[in-house]
Amino acid sequence: MIDPRYGPQEAAGVWVHLEHEAGELASVSKEILGRARALADERQEPLTAVLMGSGVGGAALEAVSLGADEVLVAEHPLLDPYTTAPHAKVLDALVAERKPDILLLAASPDGRDLAGRLAVRLRTGLTADCTDLRINPENGLLVGEVTGFGQGILATIECPDHRPQMATVRPGVFQRPEPDASREGRVEKIAVELSEADRPVRVMRRSLKHGVDITQAERLVVAGRGVSGDLALLKRLARLLKAEIGGTRVAADAGWVGHDRMVGQTGSVTHPKLALVCGVSGAFQFTVGIQDAGTVIAINSDKDAPIFDVADVCVVDDVFQVLPRLIEYLESEKKKNGRSD
Amino acid sequence: MSELKIVVCLKVVPKSEEVSVNPETNTLERGNARSEINAADMNALQLALDLKDTHGGSVTLVSMGPPFAERYLRLGMAMGADAGYLLSDRAFGGADTLPTSYVLAEGVRALQECDLVVCGEESSDGATGQVPAGIAEWLDLPQVTGVTTAQLLPKSRLIRARRELHGGYEVVEAPLPCLVSVRLGANEPRFIDFQRWDWALEEAPVTVWSAADLNLDESLVGLKGSATVVAGVAAAATAERRREFLSGTAEEKAEQLLERIKNWTRA
Amino acid sequence: MARKTAPAEPITLDDSLWERVMEATHGAVAPCFQCGVCTATCPWGQLQDEPVNVRQLMHRAQLGIEQENGAMWWCTTCRACEELCPRDVPIADVMVSLRDLAWKDHAVPEGVSSVMWAMYWDGNPWRRPPSQRAGWSKGTEIPRFSPDCDVFFYVGCTPSYDSRSQKVARALTHIFGEAGVTFGTLGDGEPCCGDAAYGLGQHDYLKQIIETNSRLFAEEGVSTLVTTSPHCYDMFANHYPKDIGLKPLHYTQYLAALVEEGKLKFEKPFEARLTFHDPCYLGRANDVYDEPRAVLSAIPGVTLVEMEHSRADALCCGGGGGRMWIDTKAGERFADLRVPDAIGTGAEILVTACPHCIACLEDSLKQAGSHIRVMDVAEVVSAALGAGETP
Repeated sequence: MIDPRYGPQEAAGVWVHLEHEAGELASVSKEILGRARALADERQEPLTAVLMGSGVGGAALEAVSLGADEVLVAEHPLLDPYTTAPHAKVLDALVAERKPDILLLAASPDGRDLAGRLAVRLRTGLTADCTDLRINPENGLLVGEVTGFGQGILATIECPDHRPQMATVRPGVFQRPEPDASREGRVEKIAVELSEADRPVRVMRRSLKHGVDITQAERLVVAGRGVSGDLALLKRLARLLKAEIGGTRVAADAGWVGHDRMVGQTGSVTHPKLALVCGVSGAFQFTVGIQDAGTVIAINSDKDAPIFDVADVCVVDDVFQVLPRLIEYLESEKKKNGRSD
Repeated sequence: MSELKIVVCLKVVPKSEEVSVNPETNTLERGNARSEINAADMNALQLALDLKDTHGGSVTLVSMGPPFAERYLRLGMAMGADAGYLLSDRAFGGADTLPTSYVLAEGVRALQECDLVVCGEESSDGATGQVPAGIAEWLDLPQVTGVTTAQLLPKSRLIRARRELHGGYEVVEAPLPCLVSVRLGANEPRFIDFQRWDWALEEAPVTVWSAADLNLDESLVGLKGSATVVAGVAAAATAERRREFLSGTAEEKAEQLLERIKNWTRA
Repeated sequence: MARKTAPAEPITLDDSLWERVMEATHGAVAPCFQCGVCTATCPWGQLQDEPVNVRQLMHRAQLGIEQENGAMWWCTTCRACEELCPRDVPIADVMVSLRDLAWKDHAVPEGVSSVMWAMYWDGNPWRRPPSQRAGWSKGTEIPRFSPDCDVFFYVGCTPSYDSRSQKVARALTHIFGEAGVTFGTLGDGEPCCGDAAYGLGQHDYLKQIIETNSRLFAEEGVSTLVTTSPHCYDMFANHYPKDIGLKPLHYTQYLAALVEEGKLKFEKPFEARLTFHDPCYLGRANDVYDEPRAVLSAIPGVTLVEMEHSRADALCCGGGGGRMWIDTKAGERFADLRVPDAIGTGAEILVTACPHCIACLEDSLKQAGSHIRVMDVAEVVSAALGAGETP
């Protein structure tokens, strides 16, 4: 076997790599902290969070309030914004020195970028894009549940002999814990030595307000003939779900959405994890554009609409009756959870 | 810059919907599932061929897989690639991403010269997305993952690429040689160029390399070299659309809908 | 119309291009003498200020001048121009041959390569899973073809996957049953006929498809082959080799023969006022005008009325020549023009016999807010026989 850098006997502790944007913890990192807390309790081990960047120390206390016993803060100008090499270098050195048993990262673009690199550097196993994490009661190993073959197959993966047991976690699968301001934890500043030579890739421009590319959208809210050009509700819903707006050919023709947002055979073939289609009858030329979607939710007042043949959740009702209530619920949920991101 | 040398890593995968789980043995049944080139790898190849169209040079395909994968390499050559290398050995079977990225990296290394390695972001079967970063680590190359477009700046020997982020994007520059992984659907793969077809099928160079050809330590490859084990598999309920109809008033339906999309409001 | 004069650029005549065009069109461009009737008859003229200038396309092809890319991809291969061409130029074939050259020159528009890949990986132009091809029968056991069947039923890609057209395929099996016809299909193993590759001009790939399918049909012992779609029928009738024993029929031809032989009888009346829209690939391409009308007229209670433009003068739905896979802007859809024709007849049902016509016409009728229903001939027959599905 490929020799790990250290083995199970030396390993201890549960680690979470925290992702953030401008010093704000990412939702997915909060979710992972919640689950990692439970895993650490089960193993009766401490939970360590690792925060890397520049000017990010403020998030350390938040991580404590969400369950971390210890937060390692590595700050350096070359760690901001995220690029692979300096982050991998710092995290690798920390892991090699302190030998955690479990290391969890977000299955986000940056989290997967870092995890894939680090796993090979540490010569260990990585379970990618987990939809569940638990401890195997028989052998104490971390069990990651993953999907494959176009989400058709569930598999559980373990990493018996290599350490740390690494996993990336899909956003949205775990509950975000309630913050507890009274929790106490240790914040440790890590000395970081990096030079320009450690950062070969440079970020030239970064925008979180993006141009439309609905082929890359993870979530889509799609307007069809049935919304009669009234997109205000759909746009509010899209904001709440962090989704992109798409439209059928009818919606694009009528100018309700731009042509770059048209879904279907002669528009874009999309691959969202969630597609919420509103007032769409489901002509074949449209449905080929959402056939790769993870979950399809359809709202249409015509119970015989063919869209319901290709939907996971079918709502036979008036879009304008259902959406206002859904939005109301989502907004109150959001308030309940505090500032979400 | 001397002639641009691009390597594209391709994986031949079974068509997802044709793979099932045997409910008795809980093992994967690939049966007679048809195969295809992993869709994101087609986008990777298209990106590489576009760079070759603009800057000249060559595109070499590298794939790890069983002998029948050769005909898919020839398909890639009919699209425009110049040579293919198939890393094929029984010892490579059962590999997780650690030995897979190792074998692919050794294959790329054995080609000796390479300015740019292009991979699909993830495969439709394993869906880990960690092989590209793994290859980059084994080869000690800078990496840019999740790319939708890329341009080459030959004078400064840089690649400028757009990376998709959660709810945004960034534009990065990486020095050559480096590795990029390309998002599924980032471009439209060109169709077979039938003027290359006969050449691709009969004359195009496909080299098959075994573990011995690459001087690989067999304990580092395949099942033996893997760090993870599959503890179990099961069919997910999502192969077909569930067609679950919600009932009640509009308000009640909205409530049920909330339950089903709650997860999506976070992250 | 006042047009800005472009700065005069030298025109290069490329003899080798002329030779390529001649070769690609099997000499079909040669007889054209530039009368321009084609440009005048092209339906695009009713929709665009600057209609597709068929004459100019032909002229450039003859002179060996590089085509301005774009226009050649508009053609729906409806062949309306060919009806009036005094020189009998197969203009639609010239158009798709020019597309073929565009493939060879790597100059095809966005989107069409994906259609070819769908055919390559999935065996259908819609990117639907090949393992679900037989799903159209919705669980009803459809017999596997064997040479002792009366007919080989070639379902086709769109009727296999499009839930609307699946009803037409199911209606046909109902009719076969009622008429005592034994039939079989190849189930999930049914291959794509190659129509989209023909229409989109990827003729090298089409050649491979035809070779593979011809071998398959010969091995299976296929003789009488009945198709749902006129497009598939046209492929088998006009593009497949003649020496493999294939006897292709569009189902309307087959049903007309069954009516004629007395095997298909209608006992109950089907009271409705119908008008028939001639699919281009049935009518102008293959001169099948009478058979669908004969079938409909054999049903007691049916009143068949003709639209202003019918038979050889019928207007295309816009879905031919690969246009089903290319976006057509709102206000430029042939079916939008066709709908008033149908409404003008006072018919309750607009009947046609092609999956693409159904899709385009239903779309435009909905857009126009019309209550006219679109039915396929097979659906009307099935309903007249009783126990058919309501579309």
